[in-house]
Amino acid sequence: MIDTFHIGMFAASLCIIIAFFSFMKETDDLHRLLLTDLASVMALFLIALVGTDLAEALILPGLVVTISKLMALTEIYLVKEGIQRNQPARTLDIEVLQSAPAILASILVLYGIFLSGFSGGAVAGLGVIFYIICKGHQERFELIETVSGYAWVAWIAAFFIILIFPSQWFLAVMIAGGAILIKVTAKLSLIGTMRGESDV
Amino acid sequence: MFDLNIEGAELFALPFGDIVPYFSVYSATLAAFVLIFILIAAFDRPERQLNIIFGGDAFYEKEIKEGDTRFSRFMAIACGFATLGAVLTGDIFNFTLFAVLVGITNIAIVASAGNHHVLNAAFQYGIVAMIATVPLFGAAAIILATTGTLSIWTLAGMGAVPLLAKAMLILGVMGEGIAPLYIGKAEIIRAQGAPFVLMIHFSSLLLFLRVTEIVLVI
Repeated sequence: MIDTFHIGMFAASLCIIIAFFSFMKETDDLHRLLLTDLASVMALFLIALVGTDLAEALILPGLVVTISKLMALTEIYLVKEGIQRNQPARTLDIEVLQSAPAILASILVLYGIFLSGFSGGAVAGLGVIFYIICKGHQERFELIETVSGYAWVAWIAAFFIILIFPSQWFLAVMIAGGAILIKVTAKLSLIGTMRGESDV
Repeated sequence: MFDLNIEGAELFALPFGDIVPYFSVYSATLAAFVLIFILIAAFDRPERQLNIIFGGDAFYEKEIKEGDTRFSRFMAIACGFATLGAVLTGDIFNFTLFAVLVGITNIAIVASAGNHHVLNAAFQYGIVAMIATVPLFGAAAIILATTGTLSIWTLAGMGAVPLLAKAMLILGVMGEGIAPLYIGKAEIIRAQGAPFVLMIHFSSLLLFLRVTEIVLVI
């Protein structure tokens, strides 16, 4: 009897054969480095085929070790080819990063507001990090600090509302959720300011 | 599982629910060896390379300072602890993760030499080790799919694991740990800091012994 797992296994085996065949044909070192990522995705594919909760928990450590190995290999490649000193004048000098950030960042921030709470703050913060890394920033720290301070006050106020007027819990939860959204967003967007320019 | 030939008498078992870390005579011996070699890597001094000048009896000695070997010493100790984890764990997926970790630290020990040929060898070894994650994780996935568990303790003596999974497990460990034996070994030995290079051979030997035990037990 052929069930879904076996169909998946045949598909995965086909992909693995194609990936290994590409390793045989490829001779350029950089291209082979890129192909190793393909191999690690195949490994995760095999684990994901099992499709249980345990398999889901195994994906993350598998991904971590393969990515750390890929990063180590990349460092070796840079040193080997002697190009680790060739820094571009501006980090992340890629054309897409000049045009895309406004749209992508606004989508992320809107989705973060829709999610609200801690995870929403993280998503919105990612959007702001992305925008600031790509577009640069000019001394917006004070604004971020002020907003973050007010968010903290709102959060504490929400706690007081819950403690003193328990009947107004819904208002308090909404205030706390909005405040922690802004707080996490502000915190994460500070990460974005660490990369962009050299005089920070 | 202690009625199997390879394990010997039971010394210790820690039942963490499904996954049981255990010491048999076999694995306790391996763990003791790993601890000894971690201490050697932590406290020994780097070798002094001698270059002989041909056609005469002159030689000169390379100066290797403590600071030059700090990175490879750290990586040798990390490699020792990854090997210790691979020897002690009672879970097949954790074993594969530790094998990958041994591979990463091995690459780092080789790459810390800084010589172009050595780096080239390290890069080729790294690519082999990266490809080897496919059979390694694939073996764990097939074992999980066919038996529903990854615990060596539960699987011991059942004979439920398919031969394909065992073969893939051995293939993966060969790629991760035993690769330096056939890739650029001559280049590696020419590198400075030879006592730390010893750790590569040691970890590959221990991984091989451990995977033999696992394959014979499950």
